[in-house]
Amino acid sequence: MTSITDTAPVPATRTAAGAPREKRRSPSGLVLTLLAWVVGVLFVLPVLWMALTSLHSEPAAATNPPSIAAPPTLQGYRDFFGAGAGTTPWPSLANSLTASVTSTILVLLLSIPAAYALSIKPVRKWTDVLFFFLSTKMLPVVAGLLPIYLFAQSVGLLDNIWLLVLFYTSMNLPIAVWMMRSFLAEVPVEMLEAASMDGAGLTRTLQSVVAPVVMPGIAATSLICFIFSWNELLFARVLTGTVAQTAPVYLTGFVTSQGLFLAKVCAAAVAVSLPVLIAGFAAQDKLVQGLSLGAVK
Amino acid sequence: MGWARLPAAEPALDAVATGATAAPAATMPAGRAGPATDVVGLGRWRALGFVTPGLVLIGVFLVFPALWTLYIGVTDYRLTGTAARAPQIVGLENYRRALTDPTFYRSMWLTLVFVLGSAVLGQNLLGFFFAYALRPARPAVRRLVEALVLLAWILPSSVVAFLWIAMLDRDGGTVNVLLGQVPGVAWLIEYPMVAIVVFNIWRGTAFSMMLYSAALSGVPPSQLETARLAGASTGQTLRDVILPNIRRYALTNTLLITLWTFNDFTPFLLTAGGPNHRSEVVAAYIYNTAIVGGEMGYSGAISLLVLLVNLLLALVYLRVARVRPA
Repeated sequence: MTSITDTAPVPATRTAAGAPREKRRSPSGLVLTLLAWVVGVLFVLPVLWMALTSLHSEPAAATNPPSIAAPPTLQGYRDFFGAGAGTTPWPSLANSLTASVTSTILVLLLSIPAAYALSIKPVRKWTDVLFFFLSTKMLPVVAGLLPIYLFAQSVGLLDNIWLLVLFYTSMNLPIAVWMMRSFLAEVPVEMLEAASMDGAGLTRTLQSVVAPVVMPGIAATSLICFIFSWNELLFARVLTGTVAQTAPVYLTGFVTSQGLFLAKVCAAAVAVSLPVLIAGFAAQDKLVQGLSLGAVK
Repeated sequence: MGWARLPAAEPALDAVATGATAAPAATMPAGRAGPATDVVGLGRWRALGFVTPGLVLIGVFLVFPALWTLYIGVTDYRLTGTAARAPQIVGLENYRRALTDPTFYRSMWLTLVFVLGSAVLGQNLLGFFFAYALRPARPAVRRLVEALVLLAWILPSSVVAFLWIAMLDRDGGTVNVLLGQVPGVAWLIEYPMVAIVVFNIWRGTAFSMMLYSAALSGVPPSQLETARLAGASTGQTLRDVILPNIRRYALTNTLLITLWTFNDFTPFLLTAGGPNHRSEVVAAYIYNTAIVGGEMGYSGAISLLVLLVNLLLALVYLRVARVRPA
């Protein structure tokens, strides 16, 4: 015999079977979600087209709209990376890697101490310095192009990848200082005080108190700096020639000369985009906090 | 120089930069009123040593070129010819010319349309729409949609320019094929401004979406619940509960995307400012005047005027941001 007390009471948020109840959604909410999906798909269409075409043979790539059924091939990538086109992308990819990675490391080496000093304020009027950093981001970049070109010409650094390394470092430094400052602000002052009470020196404090809290922030900052440097086109186009040209510059030339071979060009575009896509998705969660200069947590 | 004196707006900017959260008050004593705090004993000199290398680099690569541009702006410097070898000081002639030049005003007008249409309205509203619509979705779904929209934001400008030129092509472009007309409309030639506005909405919405997504997650659920129990409509809830809570974020977002869009060079890669200057926003105008036309002195003057407009925009937003919601 089963008494009524044998069954456990079912919470209101669960169905009789015990599964969590679906949250009730209004019809307008559903329409919104659906609309968001439609616009989201529209957003991704160009990228999808690029990825699909890059995997087609040239004849299949020429059909429009691109057929999904066409047999996939890596011929486009082989044509791009191979010497088939008479040029090879490897030097430009190496240049981009040098410029982005080196400048990112330099930015970290310069911005972390600066942001640290600026966020604990041992000097009055410190915020002025912070806003000076920020204000340099208001300059129209195009306006700086010519002076930097003339400067590079006079010191013989045109078509030299190290000029771009230095330029990208200073280009990303202001934003990196602000980002690092926002991440450092998450270190509780009480923890710093406690460390100093316990007699920890600067190195010890940085190692044991600050580093663990700000590590994710440092990672996000470096990924964002990497993306900006890798993607930069305007200065790279003007300041480099055949020796130091970066991957985006190479791609622009490749599109001009090989534009009719869509599969090959799409493969090139995918190859040039891949590093920043990986970096971008790795940084996705911290992207907004960093780029809004800490306005959003 | 004007932009070096930004600290006048410091308290407001500080509020914008640190947002509406309570954290800054606890972790970072606001420097404007309280005494300087140096809990870990970094010391004045060591602190200066930490900051100086970065300042030097910025001085060489950002400030020095800006000062040079300022100087060039009062000369008749050109890329080629006699004026290239021995530029003469012409005083404010370049500024007089710019302020009486219809092409300058046209590029400012096109920039205004571009910034208002693609950033202030386009990215802002679409970004908010995405964030709002995806709010009830599961975190994994939200992350996926965000990642899809983020693609457009991350890709190198050389790649997105190629993609859009290929998709909008008159003869074989996918857009015309989908519309069922080949050869169809030469979008970039017939509607250059519409094309770059739509392009920039596509390119930049991800940032606004993610920012609003973070902002909306900070709206207290209790307030939303109260509104629901009181029988408020969606519109009323948006106006009376959500907007007051995210107002500060909206201002920060609008300021950032305005400045970015104002100085964005990518539209040039699509239309080169043409045809016939019809999409020549200021970044393209400066490039065409300086690099293509070779008139360095004149473009230097325009650059400074553009800089002043940027500064003005920032100050207006900061003034608005300063007024706290009641």
